[in-house]
Amino acid sequence: MTSKRRPVTYTTDGVVVRTSNLGEADRIITLITPIHGIVRGVAKAARKPGSKMGGHLDLLKHVSVSVRETRTLHGLSQVSTVNGYRGLRDDLDRFSRGSYISEMAERFSVENGANQPLFRLLLDVLSTLEVSDNPEMAIHFYEMRLLQLSGFAPELSRCVESGVELEPANHLYSADRGGLVNNESRPVGETALLPASLNTIKLLRFLSRADIAQATAMKSGEDENRQLSRILRAQIHHVLDRGLRSEAFMDEVRTRPGHGNGIGRTTSDSSNE
Amino acid sequence: MPSSDIAPSAAPPVARLIEAFHRLPGIGPKSAQRLTYHLIRMPQDEAEEFAAAILGVKERVVLCDTCANIAEAVECTICGDLQRDSTRICVVEEPLDVVAVERARVYSGKYHVLHGVISPVNGVGPNDLKLRELLERLRDGTVVEVIVATNPNLEGEATAMYIQQLIGPLGVKVTRLARGLPSGSDIEYADDSTLAHALESRAEIPQRQTGTPE
Ligand SMILES: [Zn+2]
Repeated sequence: MTSKRRPVTYTTDGVVVRTSNLGEADRIITLITPIHGIVRGVAKAARKPGSKMGGHLDLLKHVSVSVRETRTLHGLSQVSTVNGYRGLRDDLDRFSRGSYISEMAERFSVENGANQPLFRLLLDVLSTLEVSDNPEMAIHFYEMRLLQLSGFAPELSRCVESGVELEPANHLYSADRGGLVNNESRPVGETALLPASLNTIKLLRFLSRADIAQATAMKSGEDENRQLSRILRAQIHHVLDRGLRSEAFMDEVRTRPGHGNGIGRTTSDSSNE
Repeated sequence: MPSSDIAPSAAPPVARLIEAFHRLPGIGPKSAQRLTYHLIRMPQDEAEEFAAAILGVKERVVLCDTCANIAEAVECTICGDLQRDSTRICVVEEPLDVVAVERARVYSGKYHVLHGVISPVNGVGPNDLKLRELLERLRDGTVVEVIVATNPNLEGEATAMYIQQLIGPLGVKVTRLARGLPSGSDIEYADDSTLAHALESRAEIPQRQTGTPE
């Protein structure tokens, strides 16, 4: 007879979305996996130069790993890299977007909650982001699909206020109500209504049906992009109850044309000047 | 986090100390308990010395005005050392990294401690690091090379890229510590980025004059 509580060990694929140091040389790794949802585990001695695991268990890497379940932190071993996404590692813009994507995957995942579509989506978007010349649309595709997968698909054909079918025209978007609001039936006292032009609405509808290749082949204007970005983010903030930490850096990198030589002036430490 | 979670049955002063140890990096509940019970058995004078050492660190240690390394005065000993090469700055993440590079005894330039790395998922951006202070040091043209010695992981690399883009336009040379296979490791277990970097920064094996078979 074996002992009563034999530890469960399994091998899984996973994407590293968070790392932190533990003790002298260990590292705590957070992975998004297809079957086990979020998995947190310890990689022993992973920070030592000779570690067989350290190089594999870095952020934004798709790895295969053996997980030994314990009551607290699981033990990780036998790691190999499936895809290291090098394209996300030598470009600040792609790195910042990859960070946003992984943070969002973590926020939309739960421990022990199998979510194969979310995992598949994460891999698809990371590989696209690595090479695509339209990373903006890859991000919007991901935002839209995550909302759909988690049951918060934006309502884009009927007014969420009046229920009537929307005429092809400029309308508004309410993140609170989760969809478009007819310009005429604008609810009284509602403050958080975002503008949604006819072109933006067309883009939203397109994104809700397109696959990632179609989405990144779509070119859009500045104005539509800005509206799209505000609407999708507002909806995500509403679902998650707060913003994402990685947004600030992504926005900073994006708005530095030609990599300006100043550090952002938007922070609190401008007081000593 | 109430202390009762970690030491439910301990007397309040004991629980308080266990809780304090538990807040330190890398100390789990078991270690926190072990350290606490060790301190309880410690002679009074030793315990007082220990407490005084903790207070002394908080009272007397500051960050160097120039390099942000841990110092006892507004200028640290390295910045104040006139023998050291002031045309080179080695940029590191944490004060402990200065200690590590110093231990190698091959570098005689100055340092700059960032106190972190760019970590978007943790909400740490360039403005949270000592980058403004680094730019300030490059202003008078003394420094010719900035060696970026952040950790060779994604966030360390991203921080290095950011520094390169920040400093590059100033005409200062920006270099990065070479990355490759660690001594004593097996190629079989190397991850793809380590192997790629090792290949990129491969070096020619020097020709030997003696012992070549004809
Ligand atoms: Zn100093």
